[in-house]
Amino acid sequence: MKLLSIAALTALSLLAANGKPKAFPYAYDQFDMDNGLRVITVPTSYPNVVALYIVVQVGSRNEVEPGKTGFAHFFEHMMFRGTKDFPPDKFQAVMQQAGAANNAFTSDDLTAYHTTFSKQDLEVMMRMEADRFQNLDYSLAGFQTEALAVLGEYNKNSASPFLKIEETLNATAFKKHTYAHTTLGFLKDIKDMPNQFEYSKQFFQRFYRPEYTTILVVGDVKPEQVRTLAKRDWSGWKRGSYQSPVEAEPPQNGPRSAHIDWPTPTLPISVVGFRNPAYSDTDKDFAALDLISQLGFSENSPLYKSLILDKQQADSLQASNDNHVDPYLFTVISRVKKKEDLPAVEQEILSTLAGFKDTPVPRERLDRVRRNLRYRLALSMDNSEAIARTLAYAIALRRTPETLNKMAEMYESITPEDLRDVARKYFTENNRTVITLTGASK
Amino acid sequence: MIARALVPLALLAASLSAQGPKFITLPDQAPLVTVRLVFRTGSASDPKGKEGLAALTAAMLAEGGTQRMSYDQVVEALYPMAVNISYQTDKEMTTFSADTHVDNLDAFYSIFRAILLEPGWRAEDLKRLKDQTINALRVNLRANNDEELGKEVLYNTIYAGRPYGHYNLGTVSALESITIADLKAFWRANYTQANLTVGLAGGYPGTFLEAVKKDFATLPPGKAAVTTRPPPAKITGLNLTLIDKRTRSVAYSFGFPIEVKRGHPDYLALLVAQSFLGPHRNSSGLLYQNMREIRGLNYGDYAYIEYFPRGMFQFEPDPNLARPQQIFQIWIRPVELPTAHFALRLAFHEVEKFITRGLTPAEFEQARNYVAKNVNLLTKTKRAELGYAIDSAYYGIAGYNAYVNEGLKKLTAANVNRAIKRHLQLTNLHVVAISPDAEALRKKLLSNEPSPMKYESTKPQELLDEDKIVEKRPLAFTAEKTRVIPVDKIFE
Repeated sequence: MKLLSIAALTALSLLAANGKPKAFPYAYDQFDMDNGLRVITVPTSYPNVVALYIVVQVGSRNEVEPGKTGFAHFFEHMMFRGTKDFPPDKFQAVMQQAGAANNAFTSDDLTAYHTTFSKQDLEVMMRMEADRFQNLDYSLAGFQTEALAVLGEYNKNSASPFLKIEETLNATAFKKHTYAHTTLGFLKDIKDMPNQFEYSKQFFQRFYRPEYTTILVVGDVKPEQVRTLAKRDWSGWKRGSYQSPVEAEPPQNGPRSAHIDWPTPTLPISVVGFRNPAYSDTDKDFAALDLISQLGFSENSPLYKSLILDKQQADSLQASNDNHVDPYLFTVISRVKKKEDLPAVEQEILSTLAGFKDTPVPRERLDRVRRNLRYRLALSMDNSEAIARTLAYAIALRRTPETLNKMAEMYESITPEDLRDVARKYFTENNRTVITLTGASK
Repeated sequence: MIARALVPLALLAASLSAQGPKFITLPDQAPLVTVRLVFRTGSASDPKGKEGLAALTAAMLAEGGTQRMSYDQVVEALYPMAVNISYQTDKEMTTFSADTHVDNLDAFYSIFRAILLEPGWRAEDLKRLKDQTINALRVNLRANNDEELGKEVLYNTIYAGRPYGHYNLGTVSALESITIADLKAFWRANYTQANLTVGLAGGYPGTFLEAVKKDFATLPPGKAAVTTRPPPAKITGLNLTLIDKRTRSVAYSFGFPIEVKRGHPDYLALLVAQSFLGPHRNSSGLLYQNMREIRGLNYGDYAYIEYFPRGMFQFEPDPNLARPQQIFQIWIRPVELPTAHFALRLAFHEVEKFITRGLTPAEFEQARNYVAKNVNLLTKTKRAELGYAIDSAYYGIAGYNAYVNEGLKKLTAANVNRAIKRHLQLTNLHVVAISPDAEALRKKLLSNEPSPMKYESTKPQELLDEDKIVEKRPLAFTAEKTRVIPVDKIFE
């Protein structure tokens, strides 16, 4: 067995450089194996339970070939179709014996496989996961059947207008980059999935490789246990060489918009989007936009008070500075009560964003948002599974929990002037995409 | 078997006063504190014509401000603490819950106590929350969520004419009629000491418990809540409700009442059975395997013995939905219209096989182990542990984890198979389908004509042979026991 290069980056101190407690308050053990696989262990004080997340840095962003949209997500399904040693029924039997909660999810930038179980079962879980990542072996019939389950997933999501909104927003805002399609993919490509058996093998060979993968173990465990099991089960996995030629989206050269006529009655929805930068824990822009999303649109913002509580024109208002590997979108979504109020609500959202360009935010308000973000992160990590899930997204972006700490420090460093500068840079007419949806009256 | 800290029921007993609030406490050294207040009242107490009153009262407390602070002032004050006061109304229980960092405990609690003890009752908040509730009914549920809609229509149908016969959020017409006076009267009558259980967990100081005790002793004493409910109407034969809606596919739910609930001698036997047949959002179940995994009919198929709302958004059930009456339910996720007839036949076929054959000793072992260990995941947060402890007190059982694990030790495969035969059947039940062109599906289901399955992929011969039986399986629907309802009539 090959020995590991233990380039451990074990966090010894849980205080940030400024002496404040770290945003991610757990000590963790992080090391890289020779084949490029990264293993991160986070022991917690929550008893008995262990959450095992395996994060692969592949998502719908990597679907560069025409006709293959939705494949990362489809492939996530195929990972449950068994190996020679653990065919699906045996895999399921082990999961059931263990009383485990086992599932997976895919987004634009990641695919994550997660299992939560009692600590006694760590050994078999690591063995079984190593086996399917290295020795996946499914039949054509199983492949074709699973494609129908993906169609079933599309069907169950399609009752809500939000799938249609997401599809329209992405297709309108992106013309070259793969973010133009959603993680589920185009319906026509989903329907064609049963014919893509050979491509699926290629997909596995490209992306299910150690250099794309991080194993994350959180809970009632010791790092030595995890290292020993990782050495035993994952050392033989071969590094790959594929890199997706993802085309960069050229700068947007004018405002864009699209409207959706929803066939059944529903409330009008408005989405105001602006291009944002790629996630970064070293550049101020991304963190500043995060703070603006809160300052402008959270439940304590003046606009929320006006639209939701006082005028009661909308029943929801939410902004999101989406963190993606490549530049994506800052969006404000509102659900409006009456169709005729849609233009006015949209105008108020645009005015609020424009306001950040001129009027400096009082430092006291900025500090309240920072406090909220700090406590929110602390409150969200109230069990091992939740900690692992928070980390999975961080790992998809930077492959280390440390990015949470860096981002928290970044929030602390942002000044009112930074907010003004970032608003001027990103909330421009050329960067804007607006989507509206209205339902049938009956 | 996993040892777990048992819920300190001794402590609970010690803190019981005659009719005063009950306290359940799980103190530890964590920097987080969970506060969970459960009132023994809910939508089963809605007066006739005021369906939704219990839920709207809870909404007005949680999202309506206090005597001293308007709602936006409450939001403003809670925001820097990142505290979210969540609330939930079910038939018998109304829950207010929040997690806070111990740094903010006092500031948070001064607001939390006031929203419950000194509500604001402002007209503009009522208007907003009525709109919010009506939109939740008409848009979030009826327009956007076919699966949850099917489940709730099933409950409404089974309990028609009974206190459980309406959805917790009520109906549009009843909500429109609710006044501030109605809300105040409901609050005074039901938010009493006798109805209250206070749950506290985490690193709170001892003085905090004393403060909570003192504050909530100011509620009216009240009388113990009703513990029994009239049984639902007897179901005869197969009943079919089709909801006609423009949608892509067909969502089914079907079921019938069972007498089994936590504390019933067959609860664990049925829990093991359900965990084998169709554990929630879990790919190991029999239904999932036979409907989705090998046939690709849809995204998943599951079985339930307790109320489990919002299942499409979450993997674990919320606690504090305890009820003295439960139903057995099958959830079939949306199927394509051409396979809708076959899918329902297959679900019946699978459940029937399951009832007839039961579990083999090996299957029993596997399912029992699942339940024994999975219970740890259900209570993995302090919030859930507290919620489960409150439910256990309601059902009169030991702490849930201990109750399950002790009970499982005594359970045998024979117990489970007897319980399956005693409580499960396919003769008398309600089926609900959300479907495009529901009239056409109704005719198809009534016709009992064969509904052959076609696969694009190769299938084992035994599966194809079984399909030959399934495609002709009669479903005993009759014209008089089927109905088609346009979707816009639901919850009005």
